[in-house]
Amino acid sequence: MTTARAFNINGQNHIAVVEAHDTLLDVLRDKIHLTGTKRGCDVGDCGACTVLLDGQPVNACLTLAGTVGERRITTIEGLAEDGVLTPLQRSFVEEGGIQCGFCTPGMALAATALIERNADPSDDDIKESLSGNMCRCTGYSGILRSVKRCGNYRSDGTCAKHDHHDGDAPEKSPDNDTVGVSIPRVDAADKVTGRAQYTADIFLPNMAYGKLLGSPLAHGLIKRIDTSKAEALPGVLAVLTGKDVTDTKHGVSPARYDEDVLAKEKVRHVGDPVAAVAAIDERTAERAVSLIEVEYEELPAVLDPMSAIADGAPLVNDRFERNINTHVEQVFGDIEAGFAESHLIREEVFTGNHIYQCPMEPHASISTWDPDGTLVLYTSTQVPHYVQYMMAHVLNIPLGRIRVIRPTVGGGFGGKAATSPLEINSALLSQKIGRPVKMVYTREEMFQYGRGRHKQHMRFKLGVDRDGKIKAFKSEIHLDGGAYSSFGVATAYYAGSMIPTLYHLPAYQYDGYRVMTNKPACGAMRGHGVPQPRFAFECLLGMVADELGIDPVEIRERNAMDPETITVNDLDIGSCEYRATLREVKERSGWAEKYGKLPPGKGIGIGCGGFVSGAGYCIYRGQVQLSHEKGREPFQKKSIFPHANAVVKITEDGTAAVLMIGAAEIGQGSDTVLVQMCAESLGIPASRIRMRSGDSDISPIDLGAYSSRITLMGGHAVSRAGTAVVDAMRPYAADLLDCNEDDIEARDAKMFVRDHPSRCVAWEEVARKYFNENGPLVGTGSYKPPDGLGGDYKGATVGTSPAYSFGSAVCEVTVDLETGKVKIDTFTDYHDCGRAINPKTVHGQVEGAVIMGASETIMEDVMFDEQGKLLNPNLHGYLMMTIKDAPDIFSGIVDSYEPRGPFGAKEIGEGSTLPVLGAVAHAIANATGVWITDLPITPEKIRRAMRAKAATAEDVPAMAT
Amino acid sequence: MYLPDIQLHEADTLEAAAALMEQLGPRAEYVAGGTDLLVDLKTARTEADHLISITNIDQARQLTADSEGLTIGSLVPVGRLNETPLSGTWAAIHDATQVMAAPAIRNMATVGGNLASAVPCADLPPILMVLGGGVDLWSRTGVRRIPVCEFFTGPRTTVRRHDEILLSIHVPPPANRSGASYERFALREGNSIAVASVAARIRLDDAGMMQEAALAIGAVAPTPLLLENIPAILAGRAPNETAWADAADAAVAAADPISDIRGSAEFRRELTGVLTARALRLATERIGGDST
Ligand SMILES: Cc1cc2nc3c(=O)[nH]c(=O)nc-3n(C[C@H](O)[C@H](O)[C@H](O)COP(=O)(O)OP(=O)(O)OC[C@H]3O[C@@H](n4cnc5c(N)ncnc54)[C@H](O)[C@@H]3O)c2cc1C
Ligand code: FES
Ligand code: FES
Repeated sequence: MTTARAFNINGQNHIAVVEAHDTLLDVLRDKIHLTGTKRGCDVGDCGACTVLLDGQPVNACLTLAGTVGERRITTIEGLAEDGVLTPLQRSFVEEGGIQCGFCTPGMALAATALIERNADPSDDDIKESLSGNMCRCTGYSGILRSVKRCGNYRSDGTCAKHDHHDGDAPEKSPDNDTVGVSIPRVDAADKVTGRAQYTADIFLPNMAYGKLLGSPLAHGLIKRIDTSKAEALPGVLAVLTGKDVTDTKHGVSPARYDEDVLAKEKVRHVGDPVAAVAAIDERTAERAVSLIEVEYEELPAVLDPMSAIADGAPLVNDRFERNINTHVEQVFGDIEAGFAESHLIREEVFTGNHIYQCPMEPHASISTWDPDGTLVLYTSTQVPHYVQYMMAHVLNIPLGRIRVIRPTVGGGFGGKAATSPLEINSALLSQKIGRPVKMVYTREEMFQYGRGRHKQHMRFKLGVDRDGKIKAFKSEIHLDGGAYSSFGVATAYYAGSMIPTLYHLPAYQYDGYRVMTNKPACGAMRGHGVPQPRFAFECLLGMVADELGIDPVEIRERNAMDPETITVNDLDIGSCEYRATLREVKERSGWAEKYGKLPPGKGIGIGCGGFVSGAGYCIYRGQVQLSHEKGREPFQKKSIFPHANAVVKITEDGTAAVLMIGAAEIGQGSDTVLVQMCAESLGIPASRIRMRSGDSDISPIDLGAYSSRITLMGGHAVSRAGTAVVDAMRPYAADLLDCNEDDIEARDAKMFVRDHPSRCVAWEEVARKYFNENGPLVGTGSYKPPDGLGGDYKGATVGTSPAYSFGSAVCEVTVDLETGKVKIDTFTDYHDCGRAINPKTVHGQVEGAVIMGASETIMEDVMFDEQGKLLNPNLHGYLMMTIKDAPDIFSGIVDSYEPRGPFGAKEIGEGSTLPVLGAVAHAIANATGVWITDLPITPEKIRRAMRAKAATAEDVPAMAT
Repeated sequence: MYLPDIQLHEADTLEAAAALMEQLGPRAEYVAGGTDLLVDLKTARTEADHLISITNIDQARQLTADSEGLTIGSLVPVGRLNETPLSGTWAAIHDATQVMAAPAIRNMATVGGNLASAVPCADLPPILMVLGGGVDLWSRTGVRRIPVCEFFTGPRTTVRRHDEILLSIHVPPPANRSGASYERFALREGNSIAVASVAARIRLDDAGMMQEAALAIGAVAPTPLLLENIPAILAGRAPNETAWADAADAAVAAADPISDIRGSAEFRRELTGVLTARALRLATERIGGDST
């Protein structure tokens, strides 16, 4: 039933050919190409598709297009009038309401409906109105602020005075928007108007659509595949199965490439890709996939690491004996002596949970081949270069034949840090049919693809002296890896290597086993490998403190890391203001008045953590080349090529600069801080810089957004490129100003004689002069991590970094003691991130990390049935915090300067997750008297533990102090 | 994720809807807000060839309150019900509407759909049960009124015949000296689904003893359930913690929960007891002096 229908969208009449099964979302996006309305789940759970119908918010994904009639539809594209942002939109831009931007259109529309009803809404009104809109980035704090303060903004761009977030740098002025200032994100206006294009928003001419068929079984052999029915379906253009594709395996860790493009004989987890289809539209492709008949021989599946390592357990991959994918054995210092000297030894078992990144934007890729044989790949990735590298490997073509375009990315958190089946299969399908092919995951497919946090089974033993000083620590961890290696080798090493960065450990032993199971592969997620061990360690330290009667903050202070220290595992700590973060959270949270003094059901807890500012070594060894062109090179203790590279080109009239760097903006704000650092080094305002970070043809290589590396590494590259430009301009400026070129300084769009700011010339005038006489004014910069990082033992590279961040968080909770329900009330966080390039971006990262971390501590868990099927691959079963669950967060930055970082900066994005889990767990223990050592800390577990405790002790002893 | 092949039909009157249903047969479904049905169709939990959109049937969009009682048209969106002031024990309906889903879903989801889909954890049935609500089912042969407590026959099944349209829900006027409440436990604050829920209504006599009592449980049995033994347990007694404890025991005994991703059967039973006491306590607190 196909009919032409008229829709009244943003005051304009749109005619679209509609089929009965089309939802309003299908029509807006796929037919009218108003792609500001996002598809995040398709079943009402995420709110990304929120539009207004006659002014009322509704979910477009659950609205039948045929029933809309003449009602007025307002989409994000309809908010700003004549290009002028509404006060609410301005507020989102200015108040930090936007990060990846994927939730922003839905949020902005839901909020618009609210403020039209109620111009001065309370916090509770705002939270209620936005409770159906999920955000994975902001922690909702910036969004709440944006709606609350939108009354301060006027559409003419002016702003009434308002309170500033403590710790924010002064308000920007036109001349002061470079380093250290909270300028709004450079992409904010695009994101708040729906103009930002994410991969799925791109429609190329003659484009076809691909879909994957995933295995229904957790473990099985493929006996027969019959694609004839799918091929016969009208509209189907190509079908690929394992036999049609290369035998080259891919993955992340070069020694363990173990993934097939499409399953060859064996499927190893539910959702493992078995076939790929291209068709004229996505719905036909979806249908065709369901017509492919696959006969399997089901094999017994192993679903947890403990049974997977047992003798005789079925093997997920024959390569890995006893399913052990990696075994780490590390001993530092004299562990026996350390325990022998200990006054108190406590050993506990902790269990983590399966966490999934759940970026709000589903993975998407579009492949198209240029006539000269160059693959153009648009993809939602954090690591354009590694994708390029892996595509070259799988397709067996030179890197130079691959152009990766990274459109706006709606969050990653590690979930988009590897090359995905969408990237590879879209390329193969496109090659086969000679048309562009778009592939997008459904929410369920995202869960099946996995790459979330490894669930870790941890046995920890801590020995301390009478004063609580750590003598020895032993950690044994089994990581549940899922069906493929992915990042797992690094994860297993990270789970051990980051523990000694926070406290002085004289002796440390780590035994790690990454074990394969028949579940989606786990990968690198925010804090890579570390959050669960850090949670466990912080809990154990808290238990020990209680046992010794030492205040939990005090025990941390006694063991805290100091600057300029080489850790027991040979990591080189530079700047370190960990103690300052402890002091600040203690003071600001009122710790001394609260700890041990709160009524039952109220609790306060502390947790700490820190992370690398960029991995010291590249994921692959050797130089940039096709990975099987030459054999693997022996490891050298230095970077073979620069990890971050930038080019700055000044426009010929000198009024603007184009910054080219492959650093992936995925919502974390890297475009903005890189622009600020580049501006600082050029001596021009950030507003004169245009960022080009999304196209490998334009920008030189940057390794991408992982291991919290961009601010430090990309920052160095862009500031060096900027400095190179200024250096090139010096002779011309000196000429114009009649001075020595060494005395030239550039600032505020002027070049002047040092100490004589009035002897100046306009920056652009010098640039023009340069161009007139010399041609293009271009500067380049690059960054290599220092040589020689790390020790000489096996795995010593993992955890190395030019610099480390530190942070402390205090959490306060209220627990309903009858039901076990936890309400997280407040968070107080202080961070040592070096010098903050953009404080607002730092706070945004902390706020997002706190909510993500708190959410994973108390509610998130990917669940499987006994056959290995996912039980909750959706956003109503996999629970993440909504705005109504989010606590009030105070984020503070301590004074710090990292000499190895650009302008003194180090990382914030991942490190800020690490203190959270332990702080929440501690606060719950403090409120209930029971430590839950098994994540997530659900109401049910709390009640069970409270019942068990009550049963063992006739009268329940006083709450934990 | 797309909807399967369907034909969409629109009916503006009950007659037209019924005529379409008769013509299209068993593979046709009525669709109101679509928030249950479209999700079920997209996830292949349900199949249908034809959808008959009934949202424009004015007769089923009325929301009236008078001395006869409260009549909620089945097509009234939950959001509209949530924003409509309600008096006396009726106001406890808001306990349920305001925790349901999220505003955008509530703007679409209808009251009738919440009953008709008969999901065991639906939020409206328990409170409507304790308030003595009845469902009017319209068909070409007439209207029959079924008490809400007799409407459900199992998970996702009801007494409604395939051709019948849920026309409205009728709630009798609040009695004086009475109070009602709905308590629900969910795993998060926003956009969550009940793990266990309890609705209660209490009426006190002049001596302050319980004259009437009703209790319904949700999400802890194959259907929402009005407990038949509650009047016998509570009537004539003082509204106090001992009474609530007895009621809680009865509710726990009546619960027949499943274990699923949201909680084990054991935990759900425990919650049923806790929520029962809370719901009764709150219902009692809400009894004003001699208000109606
Ligand atoms: C994200 C999300 C969150 C949700 N959260 C909650 C929640 O917290 N609590 C809760 O209780 N529910 C929740 N729901 C479920 C849903 O919103 C409600 O059950 C809603 O009230 C259903 O109404 P509808 O109009 O959308 O029904 P539809 O989907 O249109 O119909 C549902 C079924 O009822 C039948 N039907 C509908 N109206 C009639 C009628 N008048 N006569 C005869 N048959 C009819 C249809 O044929 C269909 O079988 C949620 C749903 C979503 C998508
Ligand atoms: S896409 Fe509609 S709510 Fe998620
Ligand atoms: S900014 Fe909200 S999901 Fe990314």
